[in-house]
Amino acid sequence: MKRTKVVLLTLFALFLIIQLIRPVRNKSGQAPETDMSKVYKMPESVQGIFKKACYDCHSNNTDYPWYTNIQPIGWWMAEHISDGKEELNFNGFGTYSIRKQKSKLKSIEGSVEENSMPLSSYTLIHKDAMLSLREKALVLDWLKKTRDSISLNK
Amino acid sequence: MKLFIFSTLLSTLFLAACSNSGSTTNTASAQNDTTTSTAPVAQTKAAPADGIINGYLQLKNALVADDDKAAGEAGKVMTKALNAFDKSALSADQAKVYNDIEGTVKEHAAHIGDNVGNIHHQREHFESLSQDIYDLAKAVGTGQKLYFDHCPMYNNNKGANWISEVKEIRNPYLGKSMPDCGSVKEELN
Repeated sequence: MKRTKVVLLTLFALFLIIQLIRPVRNKSGQAPETDMSKVYKMPESVQGIFKKACYDCHSNNTDYPWYTNIQPIGWWMAEHISDGKEELNFNGFGTYSIRKQKSKLKSIEGSVEENSMPLSSYTLIHKDAMLSLREKALVLDWLKKTRDSISLNK
Repeated sequence: MKLFIFSTLLSTLFLAACSNSGSTTNTASAQNDTTTSTAPVAQTKAAPADGIINGYLQLKNALVADDDKAAGEAGKVMTKALNAFDKSALSADQAKVYNDIEGTVKEHAAHIGDNVGNIHHQREHFESLSQDIYDLAKAVGTGQKLYFDHCPMYNNNKGANWISEVKEIRNPYLGKSMPDCGSVKEELN
């Protein structure tokens, strides 16, 4: 019994210590000029869908739920966001080459179409990020139109 | 004491949850650009992009055979060829095209390399990649005769293009289920 007590106390102490190691927060404030909605004409409805379903991991501004203050959840989240932003950053869309923009629009289209994004681990908690059929249709329609309007090889 | 035990259990639970989810995150490994020109890339003056194009053709043939592992290997071959590419052999106009496609080709190649087990996703990237390689081949030229092919059925009849080294149609999008769907649209030299 004494031994279990020591082990448990050690684990608890460890848990307390890791709370001190906090990842940098992904919060830069305003949406920049290079945001996708500034680069391409985007109806507010579409913008709203992207914001609620994608921006937490794919922009420079994350809305953090309270439990991300608990480590290691916060660490895990930080890694997710960093991977997400590297793959696609809505806020930095204007910094991509035209070719990359077109390719990214296609990838977003594919991900939404086959429901690989938003991640199911994300929509589990963020219920409103789960796209309805109508929302999906709206976004897909916009993505396709926008992608078709971009021509390479000018 | 009860609180202690509870919190400890909670913390171990979090740790477990973390390591589980951690393994599912898609680590899009950023390949380092250790640019050396020692890689075995055939860089004759006539066709400086042969290394990249051959990597692409290797990928195409892997997809024709529905072989996701070989496709992943080919993706890595392409990444190596890109890192070893010698831009100095290009004219200014050619370099412009190369610089335009370089980033996306690297990205597609890396994704294809990372997605062994998901040939569907590999093919999605292959579609975009094919456009880039077509533009590259057009601008820089190739050391061999190539064929620009079109398959009208891929992706719910949206259609897609690819490049082949043989005139005969071997479809990389539909693979063994429909190997000869498609037609030659253009011949490249």
